[in-house]
Amino acid sequence: MAQEWATEHLQVIRTLMERSAIYRRALAPIMLLTGTLGLVAGVAGFAEGEWARMSKLSLPRFFVLYWLGVGLVAVAGAYLLVRRQALRDAEPFWSLPTRRVTSAILPAFVVGLVVGLVAALPRWREPLQIWWLPPVWMALYGCALHAAGFFMPRGIRLFGWLFALVACVFLVFVNQRSYGAGMPPLHWAHGLMGGAFGGLHLAYGVYLYFTEKRKNEA
Amino acid sequence: MNPEPFLQLDRVIHEKGRLAIMSLLATVPQLSFTELRDTLNMTDGNITAHIRTLQETGYVSVTKEFQGGRPLTTFALTPRGRKSFTQYINLLEQIVQQTKSGK
Repeated sequence: MAQEWATEHLQVIRTLMERSAIYRRALAPIMLLTGTLGLVAGVAGFAEGEWARMSKLSLPRFFVLYWLGVGLVAVAGAYLLVRRQALRDAEPFWSLPTRRVTSAILPAFVVGLVVGLVAALPRWREPLQIWWLPPVWMALYGCALHAAGFFMPRGIRLFGWLFALVACVFLVFVNQRSYGAGMPPLHWAHGLMGGAFGGLHLAYGVYLYFTEKRKNEA
Repeated sequence: MNPEPFLQLDRVIHEKGRLAIMSLLATVPQLSFTELRDTLNMTDGNITAHIRTLQETGYVSVTKEFQGGRPLTTFALTPRGRKSFTQYINLLEQIVQQTKSGK
């Protein structure tokens, strides 16, 4: 009896201690913002010829710098939303869970940035080589989400897996096509980025919008 | 069974609500009022009452500041609170071990 009671108490303590480290900010607005930004950027990317001519960049270089820019805007937007939520709830912005999530995503994000910069540096880069970037970025992003998922609701880890698996499918596709029929024009890579980063985030954001709302009402 | 550990349990921490607050504060440097309230699904009044008791015992420190023009109240375990919490857990483990070994 005493053992059961004490064990139960210890279990409650353990559960509460774990719960305190979980990131609790509403994710739907972040997903919706990232998704919308990704989709708009993907659609706008179809006019890459115009953009590249205006910016006097080659198409491959434009692709890399364009999506690095979109990524930076998305990250900045996400942190601004987190800060706004923290201020609204009278909570510290740079809380322990926020720091943990940031630490978890940071390595993959840094690698993604470096891979992008390395791809953008040479002026002679072939469009074919650039086609490797979207799946590599997706895979890194999936790994980042999965790592962050240990401090977030479980769905984030599954979302990370989804990105990683989609990335694997496209890695196989790019590999096959690069030896055979050749890759489609680079504006389709913009479409892929928009579809993956925009479409998936938007779909998950809509799902979270309704489920988080329901949870808050309960 | 030796009733000694059971009798030594800290009555301030032993209360369910205060134990929950202490457990949360034990893992983080500090928590805000709303974080605490939302994680534990407690009412404002409940949190305030428990925090007052814990503060009076010297287990929790309360900091009031302004962030973005809004008042922000945060709570943290004091060294004394951390020590008492650790002792409380050790005693619980002792009770479990004692019962297991049939003392």
